[in-house]
Amino acid sequence: MNPHPSSCSNGRSIRTRFARRFLRALKKIGSKGSSSRPSPRDISWRCRRVKIAADASMASAVGPRRVWSRTMLNMLRSRSHACLHASRLGNSRRPGADRHAVGKRKRLVLKRKLPNRLGLNQVNQLRRLVPGGEAMDLDILLDETAHYIKCLATQVKVMRSIVDYCSA
Amino acid sequence: MDPPTLMNESTFQSANAATYNLSEIWPFSINGGGDSSGGGLELPRPLFGANLGQFGEANMNREGSGNDSIGGRLREARGGCVGTKRREVVGSEDESAKGLSTSSGNGMNDSDGKRLKTSGSRDVHHNSKADGEGNSGKGAEQNTKTPPEPPKDYIHVRARRGQATDSHSLAERARREKISERMKILQDLVPGCNKVIGKALVLDEIINYIQSLQQQVEFLSMKLEAVNSRVSTGIEEYPSKDFGQQAFDTSGMAYGWQTQREYLRDSSPDWLHMQIGGGFERQT
Repeated sequence: MNPHPSSCSNGRSIRTRFARRFLRALKKIGSKGSSSRPSPRDISWRCRRVKIAADASMASAVGPRRVWSRTMLNMLRSRSHACLHASRLGNSRRPGADRHAVGKRKRLVLKRKLPNRLGLNQVNQLRRLVPGGEAMDLDILLDETAHYIKCLATQVKVMRSIVDYCSA
Repeated sequence: MDPPTLMNESTFQSANAATYNLSEIWPFSINGGGDSSGGGLELPRPLFGANLGQFGEANMNREGSGNDSIGGRLREARGGCVGTKRREVVGSEDESAKGLSTSSGNGMNDSDGKRLKTSGSRDVHHNSKADGEGNSGKGAEQNTKTPPEPPKDYIHVRARRGQATDSHSLAERARREKISERMKILQDLVPGCNKVIGKALVLDEIINYIQSLQQQVEFLSMKLEAVNSRVSTGIEEYPSKDFGQQAFDTSGMAYGWQTQREYLRDSSPDWLHMQIGGGFERQT
């Protein structure tokens, strides 16, 4: 109910906003990394940068009014700081571990009781998949999931079209 | 003399023990009343009045007070009883004193009717000792078993609880409806999820879909990285404003079935037409 009117009214703007932001980020990454022969570590780092750019531009295109985008932005902000530090220090394991620990603690603290006939496993899995889903009530979680799915689909479409355009 | 009163004091907390003591102790008090002839006859009437007055007071206080204050009031009531008795009946023996103390102790067990009955029985039956005593003792037991005030409190609490659960169940029902509604929306969003029956399976489908989308994003970002390093100039040349539209158009071709379904499910197909119209305008 709720996600439909809002996402419909500005679904187009979300799409264009995402495309614009993502292209800007890609330009930045491309200009930064196109210097010399890429080592495998460099390539993986840039892959991660592209992925982070896609997530960040999607979340910022949606804006802070959705829980998942807010959470994703916060996560990315903290992770990108940690990532930059880690890449400077040459230690790439740290941010992932940190994030994992934080998520686990959050989940332990904020887990709620759910109706049994909904598969508990599935709901918990869903909570882990949707950013910020650990702290939500089930109906809000489903709401956010619907919006998140739409945005992911949009993201995939735009990215695929960019790839098609560039490789054509 | 003293041991029974002590027992009464210590056991008035539990109703059963108190009634047991009461039936044991009553004969003493009755006998005492009967033995002290003139004084014994006059003793009950002032006591009755005093007891009534104190009961009214005790009841009023008991409604708003807890157990501790009951203990305090017990002592107070007993002191009042003893005081009145000593004032009015000077020539009473120890047995009558014992009777007084027991009656006040029983009063602590919150039975108004008991006191009324016992005093009434004293008035009426003080000549026929054994029979009257037996009747009064039974009446007192029944009254102490069903004290009038505490049940009222319990019923009150139960009613509140019932109301609370009722609103809770209402809210819960509304929440469940919301959840199933959202599930339906999600089923429409996820392709191939309409035929699946059962919430757990639907959730499985949703999870798989989200995972596949996230994997696609990852894969596309890898691909984009490769493409980006190769043709970064091409992207720079392309105006991003048109790119959004172009992206929509190509994706509309590729995912025509999906977008069609998704947007037609939405309650505003105007948006779809607007989008498509804009896209075509841009293209032609």
